[in-house]
Amino acid sequence: MRRSRLLLVLAAGCATPVVAQTPSLPHSATLRQALQAYDNVDFARVIALARRALLERMSGPDQARAYELLGFAYSATDSQVKAVDAFKQTILLDPDRELDPRRISPKITSLFYSALGQVLVVRQLKVDSARFVGGQGGGSVPIRFTVTSPARIRTRAVSGATTLLIDSAVTTGTVNVRWPARLANGDPVAAGDWLIIVEATAGQNTFSASQPVRITHGSVDTLPHLTSLPGYQELPETEIAPQSWRPVGLAFLYTGGALIGTLGLESASLGSSSKRELGAVGGAALVTGFVMMLRKPASRPAQGNILYNKLLREQIARRNQDIAQQNITRRQQVQLTVVPLAKPSGAGR
Amino acid sequence: MRVRRGARTASAVLALALGPQAALAQRVTFGPQFVLASYREVTSGLRYQGTGIGGVVSGRYRRFSAAAAVSRVSFDPTNGSSADSGFTATQLDVWLGYDVAAYASVEVGVTHRGADPEFDAQSVGAVRVGARAFSEIGAGATMSFRADYLAAPQFSGGGRAPVSLDLGLDLDVQLAGRLHGTAGYEFQRIDRKTNPGGTGEMDAPIEQSLARLGIAISF
Repeated sequence: MRRSRLLLVLAAGCATPVVAQTPSLPHSATLRQALQAYDNVDFARVIALARRALLERMSGPDQARAYELLGFAYSATDSQVKAVDAFKQTILLDPDRELDPRRISPKITSLFYSALGQVLVVRQLKVDSARFVGGQGGGSVPIRFTVTSPARIRTRAVSGATTLLIDSAVTTGTVNVRWPARLANGDPVAAGDWLIIVEATAGQNTFSASQPVRITHGSVDTLPHLTSLPGYQELPETEIAPQSWRPVGLAFLYTGGALIGTLGLESASLGSSSKRELGAVGGAALVTGFVMMLRKPASRPAQGNILYNKLLREQIARRNQDIAQQNITRRQQVQLTVVPLAKPSGAGR
Repeated sequence: MRVRRGARTASAVLALALGPQAALAQRVTFGPQFVLASYREVTSGLRYQGTGIGGVVSGRYRRFSAAAAVSRVSFDPTNGSSADSGFTATQLDVWLGYDVAAYASVEVGVTHRGADPEFDAQSVGAVRVGARAFSEIGAGATMSFRADYLAAPQFSGGGRAPVSLDLGLDLDVQLAGRLHGTAGYEFQRIDRKTNPGGTGEMDAPIEQSLARLGIAISF
């Protein structure tokens, strides 16, 4: 028995969780003496000094530290019921208080969590920063907290005379709520400081926690117009045809047609003509065809690519029309920016 | 007989004008031409050859085209010809064309060739109806082949011609910018029949082949 107590003391002593989590010294001299006694493993003196300190006028954090110190001392002296009671007071005074399980003995930690399950508090209320277009579906402010025992939880947003119910449900454990920051008529809430209040009610027990947030209004970013579609690029609208025999072939075809026509139409009674005119023009045509065959072909329109580019441009134009319409709407909208503010001390009650 | 040989130089430009629509949507072309011509009439012994000048102007709007050409050629009897003197022919041609495809058009027009002195060769006038095929054989180079029927021909010496045909081969090459080189060949066969003194109808065919070489400016 004595040996196990000594081990617990050593574990609690080396942990010094109170000092570790709240490094600043308490204002109360008595409480500082109690902490010194705890460091000296003098638990009887710790209990006496802590109880005396609680009779003094102390701030909320100092009271929480005093009760926590009592809980540690009672745990070390195997006064479990008293330890749990002390931890309950600690939790009520500072709902977000946590023990580091790596540094605190499992026995003390289990007593702390036992106390946690016996009180109704809302812990770890967090409101995340968010930015979204007000009044539109999808955008909302994430809110999360933990309720230590089953209770009716009502989450509200309050600013001046305006109170908005965000959620109401009977639940326990970790709760995630999303606040769309909308009024009942769908308009975005007014800019300014708001208070997110979470109220827990179970029979006669009630507890509430709050987190202030600041909401600012801004203009909604407009969408840039598209100059291209991702994955689709315009194709060259001209192409160089490969060199071919076509020019000289056509020259032969046309000249041959003229020659055959001439020979066929010549009158037998007039005899054969000299063909010097056809020779001059046909020769020029054949030379031209030969030169055209040797020349690098000029670029010519690529009809398929032209059609593709036309369709692509039409698609981009349609998209830009849609974007223009969206931008008209966006210019009439408000972008909400929600930033959590520093929580005032003793926010939970 | 005398034949006034009108300029056919217009056909070269017309060939260009009747080329691919994309390249020739709207254009006006004109230019001078040098003309070579051969003329035969009635018998194989009546032969002439000559040279001359001509000019052409043409225009195009979408599928429609129009052209007019004039030429003046001085003909002289060839070696061995039974003719003892030459003559000067002045020819005027007009074409109106309509593209029915990217490579073909139909055309109508008139032709008139007058001879000076008047009775050294036949003067003839006719309406032409025909078709033309054209192709671009290279960058800025166009060729065309034309076949026209010469309808209702009228001759200064009288007679009739149930069959009269006109073939043409034309070439247009863009030399530089707006400057084009043109070449054109035309062969005309008119099966003229006469009945001198009421003694019975006899054949008096007329053939003319003509080459044109020139330059043109297009706008």
